[in-house]
This record gives sequence, structure tokens and C-alpha cells, in this order.
Amino acid sequence: MATTDAPNIKRLQVRRFKPEESPKEHYLNAEKGLWSWLSTVDHKRIGLMYFGSIAFFFLFGGILALVLRTELLTPTQSFIEAETYNQIFTLHGAIMIFFFLVPSVPAALGNFILPLQLGAKDVAFPRLNLASFYIYTIGAIFTLIAIFTGGIDTGWTFYTPYSAETSSNVIMMTLGIFILGFSSILTGVNFIVTIHKMRAPGLTWNKLPLNIWALYATSIIQVLATPVLAITVLLLAMERMLGIGIFDPALGGDPVLYQHFFWFYSHPAVYIMIVPGFGVISEVISTFSRKTIFGYWAIALSSLAIAFIGFLVWGHHMFTAGQSSLASMVFSFLTFLVGIPTGIKIFNWLATMYKGSIDMKTPMLYAMVFLFLFTIGGFTGIMLGALVVDIHLHDTYYVVAHFHYVMMGGMVMAFLAGIHYWWPKMFGKMYNEFWAKIACGIIFIGFNMTFLPQFIMGAQGMPRRYYNYIDQFQPFHQFSTMGSYVLGVGFLIIAAYMIHSLLRGKEAGSNPWGSRALEWQTSSPAPHHNFEHTPVIINGPYDYHKPMSEFQLGIAHSHNGHHEGEKVDVETGTAQEKA
Amino acid sequence: MSDTSGVQDKPKHLKHYFVDSDQQFEASKMGMWVFLVTEILFFGGLFAAYIVYRSWYPELYIQASTELDTFWGTVNTAVLIGSSLTVAMAIRSAQLNQIKGLITNLWITISLAFVFMVIKFFEYTHKFDKGILPGEYYTYEGLAHEKANIFFSIYYMMTGLHGIHVIIGIGLMLFLVYKAKKGVFSSEYYTPVEITGLYWHLVDVIWIFLFPLLYLID
Amino acid sequence: MSGHHISSAKFLWGIGSALFFLTFITVAASWVHFPSPWNIVVAIGIASVKALIVVAFFMNLWWDSKFNSMLFVMSLIFFLLLIGITLLDTLFRVDPVPSF
Repeated sequence: MATTDAPNIKRLQVRRFKPEESPKEHYLNAEKGLWSWLSTVDHKRIGLMYFGSIAFFFLFGGILALVLRTELLTPTQSFIEAETYNQIFTLHGAIMIFFFLVPSVPAALGNFILPLQLGAKDVAFPRLNLASFYIYTIGAIFTLIAIFTGGIDTGWTFYTPYSAETSSNVIMMTLGIFILGFSSILTGVNFIVTIHKMRAPGLTWNKLPLNIWALYATSIIQVLATPVLAITVLLLAMERMLGIGIFDPALGGDPVLYQHFFWFYSHPAVYIMIVPGFGVISEVISTFSRKTIFGYWAIALSSLAIAFIGFLVWGHHMFTAGQSSLASMVFSFLTFLVGIPTGIKIFNWLATMYKGSIDMKTPMLYAMVFLFLFTIGGFTGIMLGALVVDIHLHDTYYVVAHFHYVMMGGMVMAFLAGIHYWWPKMFGKMYNEFWAKIACGIIFIGFNMTFLPQFIMGAQGMPRRYYNYIDQFQPFHQFSTMGSYVLGVGFLIIAAYMIHSLLRGKEAGSNPWGSRALEWQTSSPAPHHNFEHTPVIINGPYDYHKPMSEFQLGIAHSHNGHHEGEKVDVETGTAQEKA
Repeated sequence: MSDTSGVQDKPKHLKHYFVDSDQQFEASKMGMWVFLVTEILFFGGLFAAYIVYRSWYPELYIQASTELDTFWGTVNTAVLIGSSLTVAMAIRSAQLNQIKGLITNLWITISLAFVFMVIKFFEYTHKFDKGILPGEYYTYEGLAHEKANIFFSIYYMMTGLHGIHVIIGIGLMLFLVYKAKKGVFSSEYYTPVEITGLYWHLVDVIWIFLFPLLYLID
Repeated sequence: MSGHHISSAKFLWGIGSALFFLTFITVAASWVHFPSPWNIVVAIGIASVKALIVVAFFMNLWWDSKFNSMLFVMSLIFFLLLIGITLLDTLFRVDPVPSF
């Protein structure tokens, strides 16, 4: 219809839609039976299936870690053979990285929360989403087969020439990882398109939750980096099967080239692992400080900056590998650069908390733990980035401590914060706050007990991946092992109260934290199609100075495309359709 | 203005989580472009290996390239370009609701792809007969360079991976023919044809680079 | 439907012909002996032109959303970064110096 207004203005009649408390129908009971889960295209159910899988792999990887640490109680062999030790640390690394960390926040939490935060009904390609999950599962099966038919002992990095020559089951493992890579790529594709194309009316880029910005940056990294991993493992497999010689000096190849290809993925991979965690922390800190996030654009754009600069620094894993001095110097310099956007985030989060009204619930507690542990991890990363320092510290326990501080002290703490934050939305239940905080404390103590001594050991020269060591390191190793058991206890407590919550937890309201974010403006557990209306956004997600009613707006006449037979109670007028 | 907002005449292909056909089409196209980015990076690794070794052994590349038949390489390039043309014509047919034209053009594309693979097959078997095999199976004596197998390992990896992508493309297009015969496509909905076309064009683009880099090193 | 550019058959055949012609140029250029590294520059240059023609006019990026073009450009940028920085290593290796 012709109007004299500016040509593309669409007028929407909106009204407030208060979320239903204690919904009788939601996504968990909308369809029943095992097959409805296995064939679901609902992103929330897929997210939960990922969650179950990664919890399983975290348990498996964690048990492997405990076995390792127990062996390291004595300087000589305790109860494991040397070859077995090699296999165990290889598996611990590969499982934790590829089957837990890389999918954790993007696939488990991200799948669940992304469409909810965008006000969409699902991701752009739900069937592709389900396919991603099954591809992950198949990759996992291949890996498990590799483990039980000969194992692998190369370290999770599969460096040539050893990986090209060892009799262990490298090909099966690399095949598993190749397949897994597709899962990562397809999830990234899905998220990028969903974020671009399926935002609710009014949700402009400057109102996007920072969690979405983080998932967006992560998806970009996934899409650009994972294919290079794929070609790397393919070349490794060809090297083994056909003797291609691309990495074999005797045939004119170069083993360092393998490392270039491998780290071109694996360095950005660590940003795949941590950047979603940053997104979760932004959400949690803002909600529990009841304050607008400080420096929205700084945090949003720093995620993209980390994504970009993260691609330029991979050679800092190769300072002692024989690469040219020129390359080493360039990589060292660029590594210092990548710390800057991360530092910007930390300061912005602190500024968000300043003069906020802090509510120290469990998610916030984990966020505080994150800030402390990740800062240590990040600093020690910069220290390792200094070329001459790294010559001394490379392949020592200093590196092990550094990456456990960022990956576990950073990412796992952020993941736990996210789980505890979105648990009510996922299951409609609360967990026991007291035990949650106890577990958080135990984990914090256990973590530092385990990994702080490793910095000292490493600086004194204790090499990584060794299962024998000299006597001077024994007290450190023993203290570290004690810590690892404490850590294990902490996680067991979490499992216990979470299971209790599922069975007998207190019912959660739609918005137990009083957040302004969009996912909290619908019922808990979420409805089958996320919202009963089409949400309309007029404020940013952190505008705590605006009343809650302004965050619960939706298009007045729409059923959101479902329940067309039912009459909608519309208080005022009708909507004008697109001109 | 009715409340039901045209629910009865929602097209069959429109998914419930999309507002309209256009949004769905644009989303699918964007998704395919993101996937093509991953393909570029995937082949990129192989191109990187090619470049590193060419910079180390330039004479090897010049010598070894003489074993590759420039004539058939050129024919294959023309074949693939032709297939790009016909797949673009197929999309055009779909856009104009000419389903028979769509099916015809798809069949021509598939045939050209098949011709490409046949030529590749003969190229490969000809080399195998001479003992030019990948990696440790290389036994050809005809090249003076001691590192000769490096060039051919890269040759087989790059053309082999490309060939696999051609075969996948053939499979996808056969599926499209099947769906087209069932009347799934029209000018209102031809998204799978469009995105398969995008995939096929990328396969062509990769060959456009492979051809001079492998066959035409003077 | 908006956003669906339909090329004429004449146009598509024109693009195809241009590509065939450039293929002929590619082969012809290989008969001329440019000094290294210019031979590579010429070969990649012509291939790039062909590729850009396919991408712009067969894949319709010329008429498509700018974001899709940006995706394509980004993939090239990261590809060049992969190669460029790797070459910073592989082209600049020096033999180890004897200890002083």
C-alpha cells in the first residue's frame, strides 16, 4: 500500500507478553520418546545431547588425568609402563581438546541459547544442526575405536616424523578428528547464518548480546581454521598410507611444515575454546551486577580482533622447532599483540562491576574465579610469547600450567558459570545454591593446588610428557597430585547436586536472576518454539535502568506462526503488513 | 487485514522458522558461501605445500611437469568451464520455471563432469603404467631429479582431492535431477539447484588454478 | 521475487566464451618464456582473472549481497596469510652457525 512515509518503514503493533510461569508444555515434553530425541531438529534438545556427550568425555578425560597424576607421585615407575603413559597423555589431550573443549560452549550452550537470545525459533539449518551432532558422534566412535585398537602415543599434536612412523593407530584417530572437524565447521556455518538472517524485529547489531558477538567470532574462527586441520590430518594419513614424503626430510619434505599446518588451526582453536567463554562471562557479570556492561563495543569488537590476530601467531608454538629466526621474531611480536584485546575485556568486566549491585550467586562466583585464574593464565601466555624466555620454557611444565590455567581455569570455569546460569532455562529447576558454592570453592582450591606448583617446576626445568623425573621435583608433583584429587571431588559434588536438581530441584521461575536478556523473557523450561509470540526488541540486553516490561514486547497479532487455530487475545488494533 | 496472516497459502517449501521465501533463500545462499570459504581454506593447505616445495625445488617442478600431458589438461579445463556454463544455464532454466530445460542442462553438466573424470582416469593409469605412483610406490626412472616423487605426490593429492569433489558434485546433481523429475523445483523454489551450482563453480575455480600450476610449468 | 538476478542466455554464453578464450591465452602464455618469477605471475594472473569472472558472473556475486562477497574476500586473505607467514619461515632458513 502506498504511503507518503519513508518507503521502508514497517509499523508493528506490539504488546507485552509476560512469560508463563510453571508451563505445562515445554520443549522437554513437547514430543516424547527416545526416537523424538534422536531425530529432533530442536536446537535446545540438540544442545542437551551435546551437553551429555561432552560431560561424558570430560569425565573420561578427567579420569585419564587422574591416572597420569597418580603415576607421577613417584619419580620412577609407579604402576604404568612408559608406552602406556604416552598413550594416556595423548588421549587426555586429544579428548579434552577435540571432544570437550572445542564443542563445549559453542555446541552445547551455544546451540541451546543462541536462537533464544536472537528471538528466533531455531537456527537457520536445523537438520544440518542434527547432522553436526551425529557427525560429532561418528568422529567420537572412530576415536574410541582408535583407542581400543592399539591406542596412540604421539601426543595430541601428532608431530611428524614420529606420527608418520609409529605403529600406533594414528590413521584411525586422525580419521576421527577429520570427521569431527566437519561437525565444528557446520555448527559455525549455522551460527553465522542464523546471526545474520534470523534476528527478531528490532534486534540491530548494536543491541546484540555480547554472548552472540562471542559466538559469531568463534564461528568465524571455526570456519576459517578447521579446514586447515582437516587437510593436515589428511596429509598425515597419506604420509602413513602412501609414504608421500611431504613431511619426511629423506624424501625432500619438511617436518616443520607439518607443524605450520597443524598450528595454523590449533592456535585459533584455542580461541574457539575461550572466546565463547568470554561471551558467557559478559552475560553473567552484567546480570549479577545489575548494570549495563561497560564498553559494549570494546568487548564486541575485541572478540573479532582476537579472532583475527589469533590467526597470525601460530608460530609461537614452534620457536624451538627449527623455523627461521625471522619468522620467530615476527610471531613473538604478534603474540604480544593478541593479548591486548583480551586485556581490554578484563578491564571492561571489572568496570562493569564497579558500583554495580553485586549478587554473589554461583554463576557470579564462577565468573570471579574465571577472572582470577584466566588472568594468571593469560599473563603466563605472554611470558611464553617472549622468544628468548620460551627457549628455556618450551616443553616444560610451565607450558602445561599455562594452558591449564587458560583452558581449565578460564574456559571450564566460564562453562560452569554458563551451566549454572542457564540451568533454570534448560530444565526449569534450580540447584542447591549452598552446595554449588561449596563445590566452586573446592574446585578453586584444588585447581590452584594442582597447577600452581607446575609453574615453578617448569621454570626449574621439569619437562612435560615425561613419566620419570629427578628427585627434586617430587614434592611439587605430589602436591599437584593431591590437588587433582581435590579437583575431582569438586566435580563429583557438582554432578551430585545437578542430578538432584533434575530429579527433585525447586521449580525455577522464568527469570530467576532478574536479567534483562531476551532468553529470560520466555518461560522456563523454554517453550517448544522458544517464544509464543514474535519478540520485538527496543532496548539493549543490559539496560537495567529500563523497566522489565520493555523487554517482554512482541508483535501483537502473531501466533509466531503456530497454533493458528487458537484465538489470540489482542488488546488493540491490527498490524499493518509490509507496504 | 486478517489475523491469520496468509497462513493457508504458505508455500510448501517454506520452513516454519523463516518468515518468507526470500529470507530462506538468502539464508541458504549465505550458508553455502560460508561453506565454500571452508573449501577454499581446505584446498589452500595443499596450495601452501605446493608453494613451499616449488620454492625449494624449482627445477624439479619444471622437469616433472613435462610428464603431464598439456593437451588433455587443456581439454579438461575446457570441459569444466563448459560444465560451469551449463550449470549456470540450469539455474536459469529453474528461475524461468523451465523444468525440462533444467533437467536437460543438469544432464549435460553431469556428462561433462563424467568426461572430466574419464580423462583423469586415463591420465592416472597412463602414469601408473610408467611407475609414477604416489609416495613410496614411485618407481619411475625417467626423471633425473632425485626428489621427483615429491612433485607427483603433490600432483596426486591435489588432483585426487579435486576429483573426489567432482564425484561428489556428480552425485549431488544426479540427486537434483531426481528431485526435478518429481516436480520439486519451480521458479518459486530452486534453492538446492542454486547452491549446488555454487559448489560446482568452486570446483571449476579450483581447477582453473590447478591447471597452470601443475601442467603449464614451462 | 526480489534478489534473484536472472542472467540472459546470451550473457552466460558470452561469459563462457570469454573463459574459453582466456584458457587459450593461458596455454599460449606458457609457450612464451617469461623470466622467473614473471612466468608464475602471468600464469596466476590469468587464472585469477578467470576465477574472478566465474565468481562474479556465474556465481552471481556481482549482483549478490555484499556480505557474500566479503566472505569470499576474507577466505582469500586468510589463505594468503597462511602462505605468506609460512614462507617467512621456509624461505629464510639459514644453516646453523658453528658455535663461537
